[in-house]
Amino acid sequence: MKKFVGVLAASALAAAAWAAPAQAAEVRIGYSIAKTGLFAPAAPSQINAYNLWAEQVNARGGLDLGGKERRKVKLIQYDDQSNPGNAVKIYEKLITQDKVDLLLSPWGTPHHFAIASVLERHKFPMIGSTASSVQLRNMKPGNIWFTTAAVADKLATAMVGLLQTAGVKSVAVLTNQLPFGQENKKFLMPALKAAGIEVLVDADYPPNIKDMTAILVKVKAAKPDGVIGLAYPGDSILYINKAREIGIAAKFQYLLVGPAIGFFRGMFKGAADGIVTLGHWSPHGDNARSKAFYAAYKKKFKQEPDYLDSVEAWVSVEILEQAVAKAGLDKDKLRQAISTGTFDTIIGKVRFDGVQNAVTPTGFLQIQKGELHVVWPKDRQTAPLAPKTGWK
Amino acid sequence: MRLPAPRETVPLLLVAAIAAILPVFGSDYYLGVGFALFGWIALVQSWTIVSGLAGYISLGHVVFAGIGGYVLVLTWGAVPVWAGAVLGALAAGLFALLVGLPVLRVRGPYFVILTFGLAEFAKYVVINIENALGKFGRLILGGPQVETLYWAMAAAALAGTLAVIATRRVRLGAGLAAVREDELAAETIGVPTVRFKLFAFALSALLPGFVGALFVLRTGYFEPAQAFDPVISFTIVTMAIIGGSEDARGPVLGALFLVVLSELLWASFPQVYMIILGALLIGFVLFAPNGVAGLLDRLRSTGGARAAT
Repeated sequence: MKKFVGVLAASALAAAAWAAPAQAAEVRIGYSIAKTGLFAPAAPSQINAYNLWAEQVNARGGLDLGGKERRKVKLIQYDDQSNPGNAVKIYEKLITQDKVDLLLSPWGTPHHFAIASVLERHKFPMIGSTASSVQLRNMKPGNIWFTTAAVADKLATAMVGLLQTAGVKSVAVLTNQLPFGQENKKFLMPALKAAGIEVLVDADYPPNIKDMTAILVKVKAAKPDGVIGLAYPGDSILYINKAREIGIAAKFQYLLVGPAIGFFRGMFKGAADGIVTLGHWSPHGDNARSKAFYAAYKKKFKQEPDYLDSVEAWVSVEILEQAVAKAGLDKDKLRQAISTGTFDTIIGKVRFDGVQNAVTPTGFLQIQKGELHVVWPKDRQTAPLAPKTGWK
Repeated sequence: MRLPAPRETVPLLLVAAIAAILPVFGSDYYLGVGFALFGWIALVQSWTIVSGLAGYISLGHVVFAGIGGYVLVLTWGAVPVWAGAVLGALAAGLFALLVGLPVLRVRGPYFVILTFGLAEFAKYVVINIENALGKFGRLILGGPQVETLYWAMAAAALAGTLAVIATRRVRLGAGLAAVREDELAAETIGVPTVRFKLFAFALSALLPGFVGALFVLRTGYFEPAQAFDPVISFTIVTMAIIGGSEDARGPVLGALFLVVLSELLWASFPQVYMIILGALLIGFVLFAPNGVAGLLDRLRSTGGARAAT
């Protein structure tokens, strides 16, 4: 009898434990991200933005579901080890096993592309964030959207505009062999030629480059007006160190990815002043949402947000929250709401045309006195472009 | 004709049983796990032919998967999907034949380093070709659904298991074992060592080419750094060590153990599972140096001894 009671108690406990998550009625939101592996250094910018958002939503009393009720949110995160194959498996698990209510996006272009077919198969809408490629336009619209304004062909046009404004007549183009760098180069070279800007040095280098001396000695000898480094964070750091050491004096110096990350400016202090990079957001404009996001992020994490990845991730949850407030959790209504709505975000109004952000113009940032300012396009700039004057 | 021994039938039946059972759950997630499991089984079985039987430890087997994947994207749209995957396998086999003669002249640690270097070399060659072509990661849209990929991969795992069993039964297997034990002696008594080694190397490249093509179809995206990721080579060797036998059981047990364990761990402890996995692996190597197969043999022999007394 005792044994029977024991078994009964145990099974009741087990039943309670099993039923508990259902009763809590949280909105469960899943995603995978590169916590380990090649892309791990990039992931915190995005994870922080997601965590900050979940905290703020819960502090507001929960996520507004179609104006009917508010429910707290719970984030479910898995490590995809920087492997897109794992991301596919994880999103299948999130949808079919964990039965999450909503999905957030992983980090990186390959991961976005890899899970697109899973979203399509399960008709599960997800707003993308840290992904950019001209190839995204080939994706079937309906269950995935991309917030980025930094697509390579538009970037090339914008870059030529910026170079002409700066009075740059000749450049050196240094390109990392990873896909985003190569894609940028492919569209940039013809645009430079069409604009009559001379390319004095054209050098590709491997992703894991350890020393840029040979390339930069050539750049110094060629004396171009501008240096366009289609670089990633690691080689952006290499560039600054070596360019400072041998004294590259070009008045325009651009690094594709890296300078927008918080630690970068801290690392180089004044030496990074004048460096131009990719980005279309800064907290210095008059967007109230921007200022609030910037202040909250800085307070919680004791560092600045990444002007690219934290921002794209934040924009994606802003859009998701507004779409859910309109449509609730029903997938078909949600898809409809995202596809047709216009959303208030920290990068201004966003509306989608197919899978693409149809509103936000391609932009560039420049480090000025330790702060990042939008310098392009002109109608959105928070400071005018300034020439790079030495390495301090 | 010898009757099949349990060590031959058990792995085959195990793979077939798993392949039949997983779809019953009716969940894409289980199909996805099965796809990964069968992929690893096929890779480790293939690796076993040259590295287990002939004792030439390859640390660059990812090169064949990478080539298979690359051929698939190159032929995408030009030929049917299945033909692209088969062409990928053939290209990998051809590549093994071409590089096999010079590569298989070196032995021991030199062969290990050479295969690793060869895979890295191939990776950078493909990166440069892609850049010269103006490609920056290739997107493949409208590939087969997960069920199709699952069955194709299950077939690859069965084929790999059969290949190891068959190779061990024929003259080739005996010859490779002779090469492993003493290559000079084998050659002296008339084993055609060069021909055997080359054939084994090519054989061990075919299925990885096919598997690599399926990997690309699964993610719908090809990028050389990922397709030729050296971690794949390391994982193959790890699974072989954990499996711990040079017959067809080892690769099945090793892949099953590592896939199931990491699956259970990442789902239950998403934040710390890598730490737990690492600790378990160290423990495994220390306390079960002969792998899962060795552990099973030991259990069976002590059980048998007890029954006899």
